[in-house]
Amino acid sequence: MFANFGVMIVVLIIWFGIFAYLLRLDKKVKELERK
Amino acid sequence: MLGKILLGILISAVVVVVFLMPSPQEELGEVSRIFFFHVPVAWVTVLAFLFAMINSILYLSKKDPVYDTQAAVASQLGFLFAILATISGAIFAKSAWGSYWNWDPRETSVFILLLIYGAYLALRSAIESEDRKANLSAVYSVLAFITVPFLVFVVPRVFQSLHPADSVINSRIKIQMPFHVLAVFLGSLLGFSLLFIWIYGLEVRVALLKKKKHSQVEKKEV
Repeated sequence: MFANFGVMIVVLIIWFGIFAYLLRLDKKVKELERK
Repeated sequence: MLGKILLGILISAVVVVVFLMPSPQEELGEVSRIFFFHVPVAWVTVLAFLFAMINSILYLSKKDPVYDTQAAVASQLGFLFAILATISGAIFAKSAWGSYWNWDPRETSVFILLLIYGAYLALRSAIESEDRKANLSAVYSVLAFITVPFLVFVVPRVFQSLHPADSVINSRIKIQMPFHVLAVFLGSLLGFSLLFIWIYGLEVRVALLKKKKHSQVEKKEV
């Protein structure tokens, strides 16, 4: 149970990292498209 | 923006539920949770290669370079997701069968698929002329996709395999899993499919911006 919890936290951190990167990239692409 | 936030929440919820629910196959232990990641990633691989083939056909019929860009992006993403499916499958194989790689029909067919699409990417990087690159890779992509249904769906079911062929649907083509497992699985499948579509759209826009900038630089030089 606790081992699962640890893996879950690691997977969530990786996912949040990917998600934040994609949101930032999306914003940057929109800016470049407007120029 | 709302759709992206909802996607973020969906995948986060799937991760939390996958790790807090009882393991889907008790006899295989905790590692069987990887099923909720491995199968959707493999599904996205097929989806990406299908996108690549459709865009290649559209390029061949309309000769619009945007379709070539879309086909290239879909193939790159398909290749990436195929690697993720292979790695997650190898982790499962180590726990279930004692070895990361067994040359099982499913593993062999994924390996051949990686070689086929690796060659596609090599072909694209080897040709400088844009028109020639687009034409050749479009024809290659259509031919490459013909192998996908055989390698992904037929070969592992025809030859005796360690890989479970009936983990989602049984031989009577009926879904066979408890409702709670099915609900999480479908949530994961939807999440990964939407994530692929988002990344695909973004990568296409980035590739088109790069092309636009490249042509502007070329015009300035002339």
